[in-house]
Amino acid sequence: MTKEEKPGPLTKLPDVCVRCATCMTACPVSRVTPRFPGPKQAGPGAQRFRSAAEASVDDWIELCTGCRLCDTVCPAGVPISEMNMMAKAKYLDERGRTFRDWLLVRSDLFGEMAARYSKIVNPLMKKKAVRWLLDALLRIDRRRALPAYEYPTFRRWFRTRQAPEGGGPEVAYFYGCFTNTNETDVGKAAVEIMEAHGLTVVVPPQRCCGIPRLGVGDLHGAREMGRRNVDSLLKTVRGLDIVFSSTSCGLMLRHEYGPLLHLPGAEELALRLFDICEYLLRLREEGKPAATFQPIPMKAAYFAPCHLRSLDIGLPALELLRLVPGLDVSMIEAECCGLGGLYGFKKEKFAIAEEIGKDLAEAVARMKPDIILTDCEGCRMQIRHLTGLRVLHPVQLLRDALERRGTA
Amino acid sequence: MKRFDLIVIGTGLAGLTAARTAIGMGAKVLIVGRGMGALTLFGNTVDLLGEIPPETEMAEGITHWIAAHPEHPYARTGWEGIESAVAAFRELFPPPYPFAAPGRGNSLLPTGAGTMRPTWLTPITMAAGAAMTPAETLIVGFRGFKDFQGDTVSLHLKCRGVILPLPRYGLEGLTAPALARLMDETSFRERLGESIRQQMAGERFIGLPAILGLRDPAAVLKTLETITGARVFEIPMLPPSIPGTRIFHRFREELIAKGATFRMGHPVSGAIIKDGRCEGINIDNPPLVAEYRADRFILATGRFMGGGLWAEMDRIIEPVFDIPVFQPGERGNWFGERFFDPEAHPIHRAGVVTDADLRPVDAAGRVVLANVRAAGSILAHHQAIEEKSREGIDIATGFLAAKRALAS
Repeated sequence: MTKEEKPGPLTKLPDVCVRCATCMTACPVSRVTPRFPGPKQAGPGAQRFRSAAEASVDDWIELCTGCRLCDTVCPAGVPISEMNMMAKAKYLDERGRTFRDWLLVRSDLFGEMAARYSKIVNPLMKKKAVRWLLDALLRIDRRRALPAYEYPTFRRWFRTRQAPEGGGPEVAYFYGCFTNTNETDVGKAAVEIMEAHGLTVVVPPQRCCGIPRLGVGDLHGAREMGRRNVDSLLKTVRGLDIVFSSTSCGLMLRHEYGPLLHLPGAEELALRLFDICEYLLRLREEGKPAATFQPIPMKAAYFAPCHLRSLDIGLPALELLRLVPGLDVSMIEAECCGLGGLYGFKKEKFAIAEEIGKDLAEAVARMKPDIILTDCEGCRMQIRHLTGLRVLHPVQLLRDALERRGTA
Repeated sequence: MKRFDLIVIGTGLAGLTAARTAIGMGAKVLIVGRGMGALTLFGNTVDLLGEIPPETEMAEGITHWIAAHPEHPYARTGWEGIESAVAAFRELFPPPYPFAAPGRGNSLLPTGAGTMRPTWLTPITMAAGAAMTPAETLIVGFRGFKDFQGDTVSLHLKCRGVILPLPRYGLEGLTAPALARLMDETSFRERLGESIRQQMAGERFIGLPAILGLRDPAAVLKTLETITGARVFEIPMLPPSIPGTRIFHRFREELIAKGATFRMGHPVSGAIIKDGRCEGINIDNPPLVAEYRADRFILATGRFMGGGLWAEMDRIIEPVFDIPVFQPGERGNWFGERFFDPEAHPIHRAGVVTDADLRPVDAAGRVVLANVRAAGSILAHHQAIEEKSREGIDIATGFLAAKRALAS
């Protein structure tokens, strides 16, 4: 491979922006509310007037969801979302963060406990009085269903299960907090589908990737989370590839640990990190043992999450789903689900998240699918909330389509 | 690693056309774009050659023109090549949102600067603009919508004009994408249509900024025409172009549905060259560099806006393959005295020179890379801005480049 250093445009400076406004066609927030001026103004536009020595005045910067779609369309290579992130961090560092935000970004800490007592916690979280209190005291919008906890957790299931006779090449799995305590079947499906491709799955020690902290501009906290993960995961990648099933965790591990957070070792880690569908597709293309799928006659709609677009690896899940006989799968033509991770749980932002989601809900209504598939847990929560339909991670459907006898 | 039949670099109209043509021929295609391409900057109508007078029939005008401009990209495609490529473009836009030529030659359409501009194909939402007369036309602007100055347009076109408040409070300062999204909502456009009707004084035509919906512009048009009883047309305005966004979305939807791999948001950082052929490209997505291999490549990276050409202190370079670029002379002579000189600025003559097969050649006329072709505005010897030939060059050469590439 030759990677010559070719002269090219400067990057990173707000002045690289030529004000072409292409980013305005991609921003889901400024399309639904005039309160956020959009990536062109909020990013490079305002950046020209920002100074480390002066207090932030751009209170609307909090309304950026961090979807990063602006970055994917910019023809000049301006790191728009990074500018927004840094501005948000400075603004919130000055103003201080709410107890709610402090609490929400630490869901990984109480998740295990909540899962353990899920029989008590889950009904409690549905109680009107509890939701009213959370709404009034913490400003967590009571109209947004809180995700239920599951027990045993994925990690516990994996540790205690009867592992199949392996022997195939090993691969490590980064499951992410939500899979561990709230959607354990995604993890189980990921393990099964990898095993059906002749792989032996190992689960290295891991923590929250830290992306929720980036969402509230807590760079210091995100860096702390990242440092612990890099220390542990580096030992793993010095021998194994790691796959992730959450596109947001994956984006954080692969592209934010290094370029944004400057964590030592991040690049070495990134080189061996793969989206699970990207990884399976690559195995198939290399002619490695691959599972065969039995027919699932169903009409499915696939949604490409923002952070998958930002990973910029094409649509590997869609390519894999097309290998399932009888599955009629097409793309949902919408830019964003609107949830923005924790963003859509916050009372002051709930209406924006709902308005963004409306476009997706209408696109789904026109398609009339039996099932919706998408790689991001946030999108799945929001699309269930918006449509009432069954929403799965693509690997869950692929697992259901496995034909054991055909496995090599 | 995945191997493609064809890799198209560039997601503007030329690249999208090339990718779609190749997909239609059954090829395995990867299309990569540093950003979204220039469709949001122009892309309102399809110009072939605005320079020739409206009374001249297009086929005849271009045939004569090619004879006088043997170096022009159109000389590579001929009128037949333009005709079949444009026909293929039109197939992508079936009713209710078709593109058609209002006349046998160029038609004059009103612009957001209040001028009449010649073009060839218009979307159905602009067609009535070609038939308007000043005395029978009402120009409608919106209070607080900065990208369309209705009073300037009506003053210059010598029409009556009104500036309406939008039929929902708090919308002032909204952007074109936000307005277009609102227009997709039936109740919003019905109320707008009603407030326009109340302002009418017997006009038969109504001109509005080009924001008549993103999802279903034909339905928006129909609602407004039904309520007002007049013919309604969109007027192209400042970026971001909503009609251009519609074109981009339609291509992307089609390409993904037909199995193309679509990557967007990161630049090609280098090419793998061996024995006068390109074997692969690298895409820079920090901290990773992804490598993709293919048998053929099409370079459709545009000119300076999208980074297809790059100006160094003393010369213009092509950053992906370092292909020889036709130079516009000394730097001191790159620009004319006045910005709006009727004669093209010499720098606009820069570009990639090709053989009849659209393969870039050096100054001696030798093919530089046997399996690389160039398409779109990066080609030398056209003056797309002054000639008004941008979309025609993109569509005709994108189409031809894909046909020739796959025939090789």
